Amino acid sequence: MNRKVVEISGRRFPLSNLEKELYPSHGFTKAHVLEYYRRMAAFILPHLKDRALTLKRYPDGVDKDFFFEKRCPSHHPAWVKTAELFHKDERMTVCLVNNPETLLWVGNLASLELHVPLARTVAPETPDAMVFDLDPGEPANILSCARVALTLRELLSRLRLAGYPKTSGQKGLHVFVPLNYREATFEDTRQFSKTVALIMQKNYPDLVTSKMAKEERKGKVFINWSQNDASKTMICVYSLRAREKPFVSFPLEWGELERLAGQGDPESFQVIHSEAVNRAEETGDLFREVLVKEQRLPHL
Amino acid sequence: MWSGTISFSLVAIPVHLVKAVKPGRISFRTLHSTDYSPLARRMYCPKHEKIVPPDEIVRGYEIGPGRYIPVTDEELESVSPERSRTIEIVEFIDMNEVDPLFYDHPYYLVPSKGGEKAYRLLAEVMRRTNRAGLAKFVLVEREYLVAVKSTEGALSLITLHYSDEVLPDEGIAPKEGMIEAKEKNRMNKSIENMMADFDPGKYADKRRERIMELLKQKMKENALVESPAVEEEEGEGPPDLVAALEDIMRDMKKQR
Repeated sequence: MNRKVVEISGRRFPLSNLEKELYPSHGFTKAHVLEYYRRMAAFILPHLKDRALTLKRYPDGVDKDFFFEKRCPSHHPAWVKTAELFHKDERMTVCLVNNPETLLWVGNLASLELHVPLARTVAPETPDAMVFDLDPGEPANILSCARVALTLRELLSRLRLAGYPKTSGQKGLHVFVPLNYREATFEDTRQFSKTVALIMQKNYPDLVTSKMAKEERKGKVFINWSQNDASKTMICVYSLRAREKPFVSFPLEWGELERLAGQGDPESFQVIHSEAVNRAEETGDLFREVLVKEQRLPHL
Repeated sequence: MWSGTISFSLVAIPVHLVKAVKPGRISFRTLHSTDYSPLARRMYCPKHEKIVPPDEIVRGYEIGPGRYIPVTDEELESVSPERSRTIEIVEFIDMNEVDPLFYDHPYYLVPSKGGEKAYRLLAEVMRRTNRAGLAKFVLVEREYLVAVKSTEGALSLITLHYSDEVLPDEGIAPKEGMIEAKEKNRMNKSIENMMADFDPGKYADKRRERIMELLKQKMKENALVESPAVEEEEGEGPPDLVAALEDIMRDMKKQR
């Protein structure tokens, strides 16, 4: 086994299997994954902080079996911050990725994808954002999602709400609406997003569905409002995705989304790891408002 | 669930509460036999012969046939105790004195960070002495009388029935008569012959096991049915929001 001991912030721990190709068709190894997260730490950490991490581990690469892990692995180093949660009356210890060393430790577990809830562990029932998860059913694609997102943007702005889009890193788009006020509840965000989804479906029946059923989704964009739930998690912005290529869930400016929608090439929406690093370093965190902007949902 | 501290004199132990039992009952959904749609319960008004929406439902305390005292949610809330963050032990008792008739519902108390040492100490001392701490404790919106005791080195919490909830046993024990010493001896012997250590693992819910077997068998035979996808009611949602969104949509389409 190929091991190397690293030291970050005075904490030493071993990294293993660095040469293992986790994205075999792209020659992208564990070392590359760790290097990606090291360079992106400043951008992704604020979005992971104080949230219960769900690990999605690919010990043998993206082509092989993976497993979800909601509990913090019991062998975690003492310096990994944890929190206690109750899941259906069961107590559960979860990892909080609050510092660069934890981010690398998690990467070393081959957790390519980092999923987090819409609430922090100190107030697990208080969402700090509402999300519209736009999921295309073939033959609809990310272009269809972009059209829905742009309509959604206008709808939201007329309600004086700002939304922030990102790619899912797979086939869809996510639009985050920051809330950041203490009285927010999942019941409110669920009801609000569901109502929006139903109205969008009613007005654009050929483009949008609010229904989960697979056969309803063919050729349409499913606005998955049900993600607004304390028990659900979303892929964290800047997380890698476990697809053939190391694509990232990456934030876009609305202007860029418009431009991409106009160009009409679904592939051009995807942001690969190296581009993600360059763009983040150049523009800074396009998702920072999601963490701080205070907005209230009207008409509830 | 609940988290807070156990406290008495100068001791404060951070803990949280978890369930200690999970009833093994197998529950079934009720389905409509025609297409296996899951059924929902609705409140039905026999007088108007219609289903009553939640905002038309109020509570009434029945004082006689057809006579009620209506009570609002706000009124109920105004008399509910404040949620508390402490289990304040007011006295210690000998657990042997508590008849199990008083036991209501068992929970475990789990030590929170930093409380492990005091927790172990309290659990150990109470185990040795078979003592339990009696406390008042607000869970959800009710105040309970609870016993905090030791269960194999862990602390458990049992909510107790209030004394006026336990029905009197007067008249249940037969009138005293003479019991002969010989009879007493015979009864004593029969009991002693059947004595064993308490081993609840020996007993299992047979019906539950058989139902599980039946379900497994049916699963293997692929005897499954699927309910049709639920049609969501259109236009559902807060009326204000629906109206605002409809307005915006109309306007947006006009501008295109």
